[in-house]
Amino acid sequence: MSERYSRQTLFSPIGEEGQKKISSKHVLLIGAGALGSANAEFLTRAGIGKLTIVDRDYVEESNLQRQQLYTEKDVLEKLPKAEAAKRHCQDINGEVEVEAIIMDGTALSLEPLFAGVSLVIDATDNFETRMVINDLSQKHRIPWIYGACVGSVGMSFTIIPGVTPCLNCLLRSIPIQGMTCDTGGIIFPAVQMVVAHQAADALKILVEDYDAVRPGFSTFDLWRNQYQTMKVGRAKKSDCLSCGEAPTYPFLTLENATKTTVLCGRDTVQVRPPAPRKLQLEKLGSDLGGSGFTVKSNPFLLSVEKDGERMVIFSDGRALIHGTKDMVHAKVLYQRILG
Amino acid sequence: MVNVLFFAHLKDVVGKEEVSVEGNEWNVARLKEKIAADYGLEGLESVMTAVNEEFADDETILSEGDTIAFIPPVSGG
Ligand SMILES: [Zn+2]
Repeated sequence: MSERYSRQTLFSPIGEEGQKKISSKHVLLIGAGALGSANAEFLTRAGIGKLTIVDRDYVEESNLQRQQLYTEKDVLEKLPKAEAAKRHCQDINGEVEVEAIIMDGTALSLEPLFAGVSLVIDATDNFETRMVINDLSQKHRIPWIYGACVGSVGMSFTIIPGVTPCLNCLLRSIPIQGMTCDTGGIIFPAVQMVVAHQAADALKILVEDYDAVRPGFSTFDLWRNQYQTMKVGRAKKSDCLSCGEAPTYPFLTLENATKTTVLCGRDTVQVRPPAPRKLQLEKLGSDLGGSGFTVKSNPFLLSVEKDGERMVIFSDGRALIHGTKDMVHAKVLYQRILG
Repeated sequence: MVNVLFFAHLKDVVGKEEVSVEGNEWNVARLKEKIAADYGLEGLESVMTAVNEEFADDETILSEGDTIAFIPPVSGG
């Protein structure tokens, strides 16, 4: 397969030297949904040395419209996404070492995976995990590439420790109520556009062409035809707790993690955000109603139901997930709705 | 006067992409409050702000003719 990477090495910023570097590197991909499967396919085709894919979920029918690696057979088998992605990647390129890890990504579970990787790619669906990735990236001095999409909107930003501001500099706190794919829908081109930004910067980092890395925070809306790349040169905060002069890595502590508890005898899991939120229940109710949930509400709570799963959400961000004792599954459902 | 650009669903709520409003020598926080009241926009405190295509925070002071973009962060993936 000597011709395998010929078109990539003909591209002079990569060349034979760059290809050697790519094939000697290890990327950690966190999430194997829409962004994750597209990134996994790209890295595999590009000839990455080793790819570790982490995901906690399994393949469902509603994924197939945009999660490009998966097939109807994966849905029937209810394959975990990490495992399904691994199998498809190995069919595409047998030279790549692919490792699938089926687990919920938390500060504790993700930290050991940062050892020895050259780059971390974000393909998660919530800000809490991104803030954990952000802290681990600073602590272990490993670049990571943020990417997110909802509806026709996408954004991406590449964080290089010691060079760029970090996500905590830009967001200050976890946004209270970001739109998610389960409330705002998602179209495939928005996924592809985010992955194009992530993949291009990933190649630059893998071949160590750091000067070429996109210096701003890019946002686009493919339906409303809006594009902007913000410069971030002055956004780095010297007192940032993640990347500043005296970092404490706040998102690696347990107080800043979502808590789940099984409520005894009730077949219910309570999910509690790290700090009370102030949800706009009315808006959330109408978003969810518009995306196929049955919604009942009073001034204090929303009761929402879809595909036989029922959840009660309080305005402080707490939720009760009924019909399950599985804490990871409950957190998946919660973060799908509340980000 | 300053120009304000609304990204993504904010554009739908406001009903247009761009408005020109008073804001010279205001800080971003004050502009957000005024915009929230005038257009019924909720949750602007967690929206990212760019002033003349450069990342800005709530304390950034605006000048005549600045272009301010409000960009809601998204979390899906
Ligand atoms: Zn920072």
